[in-house]
Amino acid sequence: MRDEIRKIQELMEDAQYVTDAPVATSVHLALTLAKPLLIEGHAGVGKTEVAKVMARVLGTNLIRLQCYEGLDAAAALYEWNYQKQLLHIKLSEQSRQSVGEAEHEIFSEPFLLRRPLLQAISQERAPVLLVDEVDRSDEEFEAFMLEIFAEWQVTIPEIGTVKAAHPPHVILTSNRTRELSDALRRRCLYLWIDYPDFDKEVRIVERKVPGVNHRLAGEIARFMEALRRMRLAKVPGVAETLDWAQALASLHADHLDEALVAETLGCVLKDSDDMKRFRAEVNKTGLTPFLSVSS
Amino acid sequence: MAVRSLGTAVVRFAGLLRREGLPVTVLQVTDAVRALDHLDLADRGEVYLGLRAVLVSRPEDVPAFDQCFATFWRLVADEEGGLPGLLAPPGPSAEDGTAAGGGEKREALGLDAWGGEDESGTEEPLGVPGVSDREALMGQDFSTFTADQLDDVFRLTVQIARRLARRISRRRRPVRRRGRVDLRRTLRANLTRGDLIDLRYRQRKRRKVRLVLLCDVSGSMDLYSRFLLQFLFALQSVFGRVETFTFSTRLTRVTEHLKQRSYRQVLRRLTEVRDWSGGTRIGESLAQFNREWPSLVDRRTIVIVLSDGWDTGEPEVLASELMRIKRRAGRVMWLNPLLGNPSYEPLTRGMAAALPLVDHFEAAHNLAALRSLAGKLTL
Repeated sequence: MRDEIRKIQELMEDAQYVTDAPVATSVHLALTLAKPLLIEGHAGVGKTEVAKVMARVLGTNLIRLQCYEGLDAAAALYEWNYQKQLLHIKLSEQSRQSVGEAEHEIFSEPFLLRRPLLQAISQERAPVLLVDEVDRSDEEFEAFMLEIFAEWQVTIPEIGTVKAAHPPHVILTSNRTRELSDALRRRCLYLWIDYPDFDKEVRIVERKVPGVNHRLAGEIARFMEALRRMRLAKVPGVAETLDWAQALASLHADHLDEALVAETLGCVLKDSDDMKRFRAEVNKTGLTPFLSVSS
Repeated sequence: MAVRSLGTAVVRFAGLLRREGLPVTVLQVTDAVRALDHLDLADRGEVYLGLRAVLVSRPEDVPAFDQCFATFWRLVADEEGGLPGLLAPPGPSAEDGTAAGGGEKREALGLDAWGGEDESGTEEPLGVPGVSDREALMGQDFSTFTADQLDDVFRLTVQIARRLARRISRRRRPVRRRGRVDLRRTLRANLTRGDLIDLRYRQRKRRKVRLVLLCDVSGSMDLYSRFLLQFLFALQSVFGRVETFTFSTRLTRVTEHLKQRSYRQVLRRLTEVRDWSGGTRIGESLAQFNREWPSLVDRRTIVIVLSDGWDTGEPEVLASELMRIKRRAGRVMWLNPLLGNPSYEPLTRGMAAALPLVDHFEAAHNLAALRSLAGKLTL
């Protein structure tokens, strides 16, 4: 293994992120090749976390662009502060400025609202730009982003061209609610994050929730493994695991029993049908199948 | 020297990947070569992860990539020197050998390239023998056409759909409300006035309706499924998105396949995908849909199920899974071609369980029925 990759893995572990070779290798290549990294995976497996940890490790800012349906270039790049402009016009009505002067004044830096993409390219140090849930944005917006990623410069007609001194490190995440365009995929490195295996989940719980002993962490991980094998409508992710572990820790639990699971089930299962199915299952077989190693 | 040979090896590896259906671009190849500079070549696992990050862009492609990687990059003893961890297969001297070997490998990998090359020879016959009477065609059940008529009827289906698409997309609705004031444009328009007189408005962009199709391809349903798919895909410019699944005993997402390859070929393939054993499991298939693609359905989605309702599973499963879909979808439609037969009554257990949960129950058994269906695909 390359020293750099081991270093990244160590740094990420230090930053409280339990990582493995695929994640570390992808991050390493994204940094050295200076390419965007597209991360896909189920909800709650820690996709967004990669960007946060990367920013912490690199000691730079994290700039987040949360995508939603209808997100357009203005909301992502920049807007003029219209309210402020209007006030300014009103206040300077008596000043006998010419139209040209007035215009020049209100379309200047103090009236500019920098949205995440513009912020990302006007930083002193290369920041980490997190484009979260790209799959929620429209296809037109995807195309617009490709344009930005290619040049890392933006032209604002009233001010001029802003070019990034240091192009940001880009992380895109997607839940696959929509298939992303091939053009975007091919410009990115790709990483699929799956649900963690047993050992990794135990490590995650122990790392993130100090009040949990080794035995309980193991039981939690086994339990989650069994739950994910059930055909649930909302499969719990790592986020749910951690919520639950936190809840159990605050109850000073040191092992799982039926009553405890019943009380805290809401941390893990978020769908009433799933709850019903789980309860039916437990009534039938007890908790043991959920805590034993399966083949 | 090592660098150069490694470079050509990567190029040839990319060639292998392409043959197995992975869309690898030139940019990705150069990135892969650059990536190797930053990886420990003695660590096979690391090289695998690195190349995968660069060359694979969707999870479905990973199995094919894994197999290609295993065949292409062989381990070699450390003593050899040069590239300790990696060795590409024999160089260009064996070029003619690779061509043959490529074919062999392809077979060994057992990957079914979805019709890599189009059957270019098959020119469609232009005449419409025996089916010139359109009106008669419109009312004829799809299953009663002979095999050689089918192609023509397919073409007619597409024609009708395209015409409908044009008509629907030209239709504009009058704006009822004025929407929000658009400050950006208002200010621009009133720059010279000092006061805002001429207000500009903007409206929320109207989202198009999305379709999710769940098509039964077991037994006699396959033919109807193909007509429905053909019809709706020709209509698709009207919709925000069309997601397509086929099912018999289990569910398969075919959206991507339909997008990429020669369409007719894929439709023909649908028949081959079909699983003959065990009958239709509609409830199970819907459950799989709910489990694996829950986020495809929202209030702006119409979910269409095409099936005759012959479910070999439990009707309770069908009912509860359909209920789950109904709770989230804008509308649920069930198309049952048997409905075209005047004496048909929906008495199968599956159909009886599903009916109360369905917003529209239609036949879709002939062209006229498809055309009237198009009118109902709005929310």
